[in-house]
Amino acid sequence: MYFVIVTELGIVVSQNNTVSKSFAFDNPASEFVEAKKGNLKNNSVINYLRELNAGFFISDDALLKALKKESLDVQIMDEKQMDEIQANKPQVLVDAGFAKNIGDAMSKLRDFALSLSASRVTEVSQSPDLHIIQAINALDEMDVMINGLSSRLREWYGLHFPELDNIIDSINGYAQIVMAGNRSSLSDKVYQDAGFPDSKVQMLSVIQQKSKGGDISQENLAIVQSIARQILDMAKARNAIESHIESQMNVIAPNVAAILGTAVGARILAKAGSIKKLATLPASTIQVLGAEKALFRALKTGTQPPKHGILFQHPIVHAAPRWQRGKMARAIASKAAIAARVDVYGAGLNQTLLDKLNVRVTEIGEKYKEPTERPPQPQREGHHDFGRRDDRRDRRPRDRDSRGFGRSDDRPRDSFRNRNRDDRPRDSFRNRNRDDRPRDSFRDRDDRSRQGFRDDKPHQSFRDRDSRRDGFRSRGESDGPRREFRGDSGKRKKFGKRRF
Amino acid sequence: MESEDSDFIWLRLDGQKRLATENYVEGNTVYGEKLYKKSKIEYRIWDPFRSKLAAALYIGLDVFPITHGTKVLYLGASTGTTVSHISDIVGYNGIVFAVEHASRVARDFLDRVANFRKNVVPILQDARHPKQYFSVYGKVDVVYSDIAQPDQTEIAITNCQAYLKDGGYLFLVIKTRSIDVTQSPKNVIQSEMKKLQNNFEIIQDMTLEPYDKDHGLVVAKYHAKG
Repeated sequence: MYFVIVTELGIVVSQNNTVSKSFAFDNPASEFVEAKKGNLKNNSVINYLRELNAGFFISDDALLKALKKESLDVQIMDEKQMDEIQANKPQVLVDAGFAKNIGDAMSKLRDFALSLSASRVTEVSQSPDLHIIQAINALDEMDVMINGLSSRLREWYGLHFPELDNIIDSINGYAQIVMAGNRSSLSDKVYQDAGFPDSKVQMLSVIQQKSKGGDISQENLAIVQSIARQILDMAKARNAIESHIESQMNVIAPNVAAILGTAVGARILAKAGSIKKLATLPASTIQVLGAEKALFRALKTGTQPPKHGILFQHPIVHAAPRWQRGKMARAIASKAAIAARVDVYGAGLNQTLLDKLNVRVTEIGEKYKEPTERPPQPQREGHHDFGRRDDRRDRRPRDRDSRGFGRSDDRPRDSFRNRNRDDRPRDSFRNRNRDDRPRDSFRDRDDRSRQGFRDDKPHQSFRDRDSRRDGFRSRGESDGPRREFRGDSGKRKKFGKRRF
Repeated sequence: MESEDSDFIWLRLDGQKRLATENYVEGNTVYGEKLYKKSKIEYRIWDPFRSKLAAALYIGLDVFPITHGTKVLYLGASTGTTVSHISDIVGYNGIVFAVEHASRVARDFLDRVANFRKNVVPILQDARHPKQYFSVYGKVDVVYSDIAQPDQTEIAITNCQAYLKDGGYLFLVIKTRSIDVTQSPKNVIQSEMKKLQNNFEIIQDMTLEPYDKDHGLVVAKYHAKG
């Protein structure tokens, strides 16, 4: 029996611990990886093995399969032998003639590791999705810069021509006007060139005559104009980036782009890290990407989990009424997860995904037209305060992560809520055995609190409010909610095991 | 003024006790640390806020099995801050196999550490599959694991089974926040230590406060069969 060993520097064929023949790699870094995949660069190894016409033990699975295809009599080497080779690798390399001595073998192994690592870094850096991620991040940062500079421009040029600020909303238009110089050199032509309609041009020239602004010196104007120039340039670059992202997303991730849109798709991609990583994420994770803080707070403290993270920017979620947003986000996330997987395997654009999503979106729109009386999952308004519990008085002392979420108007809100807290029998939550069913009671409480924010309910009478408040207070004094909350967080810990 | 060890050295700088290692590549700095010359030997100051191993030394370790000529398997090399100091300590006869999966930090690691230090072998692979490592040979004396994965302890154990010699040491940095955000760090450390029961004898465990928040370090001795 012969042994065939794949090493970093070449392939060794040996019998009874003596090397019969060795095949050194010309370019170890690439050939080793290929050999590990079962692809041999040339046929000399196979030809040699064929000549030997014997049984072989192979050290590598993929190579074993490749050689089996060549109808050679091969089997896998046993673990013990492989460990032995592993332990004496430098010696094996010396015996095979790949290295002069053990020291040389070790340094050659290190060189191999360096070049293979370098080639992996190069390989990864070339993947186009990383460029999309950089582009979308650049886009977001540029938006921040443009907005910041633009408000500075408005403030500064506003000293000279304050009326302009209120009339012109567009950042580009404002900057173009500033580029024309001081107030007296503004003419109708400037306004027209900046793309304003005639009605606005007329209004501007009238206002320009009666402006309350002070004079601006040439030095100051020069600086203001250079800021304006920067804004115009940056806006140009921003648009270029945007269209670049659009075209790149359609090439690299057409399905994700179709489901999420190019910008949101790119942001999701950026959060995931790469298109491959995105394809490994479950839909539930995609749904809350970008809302990590709220999600982990939910896991930690048992508050409501977020309904959407970056997906809130999706036009469908954004346009949907508050109580539909969670369902919309879930539907979109599930299709996005499939889309990412289709994209990774390069199957091209799949129209059915989008069609099915649209069917579901319409379905949600029709089925949940009205805010549900008692929804299975309490919904909240506004994406920014998902998961925030309203019963803040029930809360444990706030921990670090929930800092900043405190509201000074806790009390008024509570009393407002208490006023029309509920129109169903109070007994419904009282009778429940809270310790047994912490989650349910928790939900009940949330339902109840939710009612407080609904303005479509007629307010209850004063007396009613008082009696309810009493009920609430007595609950607080018995320390009931607090105990219940603790029980709840204990339950939640099981969910906390989930990987994010 | 300072206690000297063969492995590392405590220096007194500006009235403070500072940890340092003898620079393996003279004149070379890795992460902007200070160099300090004493009796013609150049030392690199070892920052406990950037390296968890240094933090552990400041807090006090019962055993420190890394010395001249030690073979170390380092999981989660990142940009190589700690690796560079271990490389200083193990010197010319030692070797550090540094495993890192993320290519972004590996880029810095290669440029700053691996290319200059002949005793560092970079391995850009997923630590979940130790059998597939390339360029590793023989058993190592110490496995140091600092990876941010929920199954970090399991990963470290599989690596020990593959490469750690009998009686070798495992340094396991427990990143409690990567394992479970809902549990208290102490509970997480306890439950991770339980996973080590089968093959390991736990020598010491500590939290890395105040140098690292919510991090623990467990030092354990490996017994292959038992």
